Amino acid sequence: MEFGPIFRSLLRNRARVVLIVAEVALTLAIVANCMSLILDTRAQLARESGFDDEHMALIRSTPFAEGLDKQEVLDQLVDSDLETLRAMPGVKAASNTTLEPWEAGGSISAIRLPGTRDEPMESQFYAADPSTFDSLGIPIIQGRGFTREEFEHGASATPTETLPVVISKSLADAAFPDGKAVGRELASSDESQRYLVVGLIDHFYKPLGAAEDRVMLTPGRTASFDYGSTYLVRTEGDPGALLPRMEKALLAKEKGRFLRLRTVVEVRDEYHRRDRLLVGTLNGVMALLVLVTALGIVGLTSFSVTERRRQIGTRRALGASKAAIVRQFLLENWMVTSLGVVLGAALAYALNFGLVTWVAGAKLSVLVVAVGAAGLWLIGVASALGPALRGAQVPPALATRNV
Amino acid sequence: MLTYNLRLAWKSIRRHPVLSTLIIAGIALGVGVSTTFITAYHVLASDPVPGKSGSLYYVRTNSWGAVDNPFREGPPPLLSYRDAREILKNGVPVRRTASFASRMTVFPPSQKSQERPTREGVRLTTSDFFAMFNAPFQYGGPWNREADAKPEAVAVISAALNHRLFGGQDSVGRTFRLDDRDFKVAGVLAPWRPRVRAYDLVVDPLAEPEAVFIPLEWVGPMEIRVSGSQYNWRSPEPGEEKLPFLDRLVLQESLFFQLWVELPDEARVKAFQSWLDAYVAEQKKLGRFPHRPDNRVTPLLALMDELRVVPPQTKALAAISLLFLVVAALNLIGLFLGKFLARASTVGVRRALGASRWTIFVQHLVECELMGLAGGTLGVLLALGGLAILNRVYGDGPDGVPFFQLDVPMIGGAVLLSLVAGAIAGLYPAWRICAIPPARHLKNQ
Repeated sequence: MEFGPIFRSLLRNRARVVLIVAEVALTLAIVANCMSLILDTRAQLARESGFDDEHMALIRSTPFAEGLDKQEVLDQLVDSDLETLRAMPGVKAASNTTLEPWEAGGSISAIRLPGTRDEPMESQFYAADPSTFDSLGIPIIQGRGFTREEFEHGASATPTETLPVVISKSLADAAFPDGKAVGRELASSDESQRYLVVGLIDHFYKPLGAAEDRVMLTPGRTASFDYGSTYLVRTEGDPGALLPRMEKALLAKEKGRFLRLRTVVEVRDEYHRRDRLLVGTLNGVMALLVLVTALGIVGLTSFSVTERRRQIGTRRALGASKAAIVRQFLLENWMVTSLGVVLGAALAYALNFGLVTWVAGAKLSVLVVAVGAAGLWLIGVASALGPALRGAQVPPALATRNV
Repeated sequence: MLTYNLRLAWKSIRRHPVLSTLIIAGIALGVGVSTTFITAYHVLASDPVPGKSGSLYYVRTNSWGAVDNPFREGPPPLLSYRDAREILKNGVPVRRTASFASRMTVFPPSQKSQERPTREGVRLTTSDFFAMFNAPFQYGGPWNREADAKPEAVAVISAALNHRLFGGQDSVGRTFRLDDRDFKVAGVLAPWRPRVRAYDLVVDPLAEPEAVFIPLEWVGPMEIRVSGSQYNWRSPEPGEEKLPFLDRLVLQESLFFQLWVELPDEARVKAFQSWLDAYVAEQKKLGRFPHRPDNRVTPLLALMDELRVVPPQTKALAAISLLFLVVAALNLIGLFLGKFLARASTVGVRRALGASRWTIFVQHLVECELMGLAGGTLGVLLALGGLAILNRVYGDGPDGVPFFQLDVPMIGGAVLLSLVAGAIAGLYPAWRICAIPPARHLKNQ
């Protein structure tokens, strides 16, 4: 191979070398960091709630009519609404709960094992009824769900009573490492309220502070004039198609209220909106950047071919094959791109350090840099292919013409 | 001379359409991408209360009463009703306001009674709120301070709600029903969409302002519940639920109030801080504030930083997009170099016929700037498209004004950026071409 002459010819074209090396290096630094941010965000987007998201709808009913400010009336309305919903074709289950999958916000409290002074654990808290688990499309993996009596009693329970609760497996594992949670007790962090674990649900995820996979469900009806009540409905098919009929049926029962009906997938998409935008934007920026860099390499290589037409002609006249010409330009480009990639890998870590320190983001993994470097290498060499092939077409006669 | 140079530049651009398109597209992409993300950053990070933010301070104290304190990095971000009420009584700040958000039902005025009521965001606050956060009025103005204390049934409503309830007319003095009470309109805001709600940095800074503002003290008589964040540490005692709402609110120690004070000079800041320390010391004697005192009076911009109001991803994208522009400029140098050196022989002839190096240099720089300007203009258009995509997510304001908008300084900045990019990228290639010895290229003619 003709390393020596190519290297010396590169030294005579320092401007071109510096440009390509700088472009490739900066591009790799940016691409690697974009990829790292994308992977990070996509890992967030890929997390599953653990529920039957595709077949669930959330309905929020907020009363405004004057007669609806009495608790008995509101409680009755909840029961009759649930009956209405359950009677609709296509509805598998309906429940009254404050657990709204993927809805931003929620409620967190600190709990601990009774009688200990360890650091309390944080858990999300929601009210549920006997059908909540069916509405979420999940089984009770250990123990049992709530009984009708526990549910009816829930709202009027005094703080001195021990409340039956269903908790998520991750909370159970944190509180009871021996794996026997059912039948054991937990307490609020000031121990003013005790909880008896009656059942476990498997995976739970709702992003909320530090307690994203921990939940404690307590039995009880939730209906108030100020906050309204929420129904979680599970359907056979796409719940979106049923929403207009549900709204009509519920308003026919009571029109002195606002209804907001959404599918859980809509709520989830809303929650993911900004993250998705970020991923899309980063992908776009990356694609444009690689395009710009590839065009730059094409431009610089064509220019170098044009400038050396006579030199190529001379080499051809002296017996160099077309393949040798192509090889010359590819090899030249390969050397320059390699230098850029090596510098770029270092620059990527420097940029990542800056971003992590002053802005945000996760540490760059070696794999991301390696994949980015390999991709850029291929693109760099591929960009040079076109101009190199054109260079090979220079006729040997060119060398003799102007002598 | 300039027109001659411009004509030459135009001819040269037309002679190499593909190369020229590539160059212009390169500048346009660089300028478009960086303008989009710098605008997004600029909109979110710029001073939300221009001219005033220096004298607005947010007040926090550590009133958490439970033994386990979940707030490890400082005091809780919100205040209790009890403390908010006491701090509002202090006379050191020239203005002061506390607020929280709720959702309430707005009933249309009687002549429109066949319409369904609507559920609206309501902010309970005090009369100083509007002057402190530069809320613009269309009709009327804030209620007066007497209305705060009593409280009187007066409200300030948004332009959008005024349009819906009163057809956009001057509705000052007219009434509408909010939940179970009639409120008189004291003022109507002009369309108002601060990109960052300075008064609500803690709970929901990027949302639209509420549709209705009413005096804070209605919280008791109307039994208004907060909508948004609240922190509770106290479990109610048996029998407590029978007490009047306001007494329960005081006992509860729920934290959901955001309190701001206006302190125009350093002396007042000091005086207020020492008053606050004394207040907390006094409360400690009463058995409240069991944790180590941590009283903070934080300037607005510092609080924005602390609470990371600007999403860190926006910052990262702004930084990345600037590097993108650098790559585009590097790319440009290469393209210009190729373009100019390809016509070295023409330049050789011109030089031989007497054109000075300087003339050649200027001629090529003019060409760079012309393409820079064309690319910059296209880039601004691209940025408009980019921002339109961002706006699909961030949404339009109540007045139909998109969340992110290019303002005149940003457009000027983008055009300047493209001229600078054109100049920097053109400098070296123009120098190379004017340094060509004329003889070498004449030889082959």
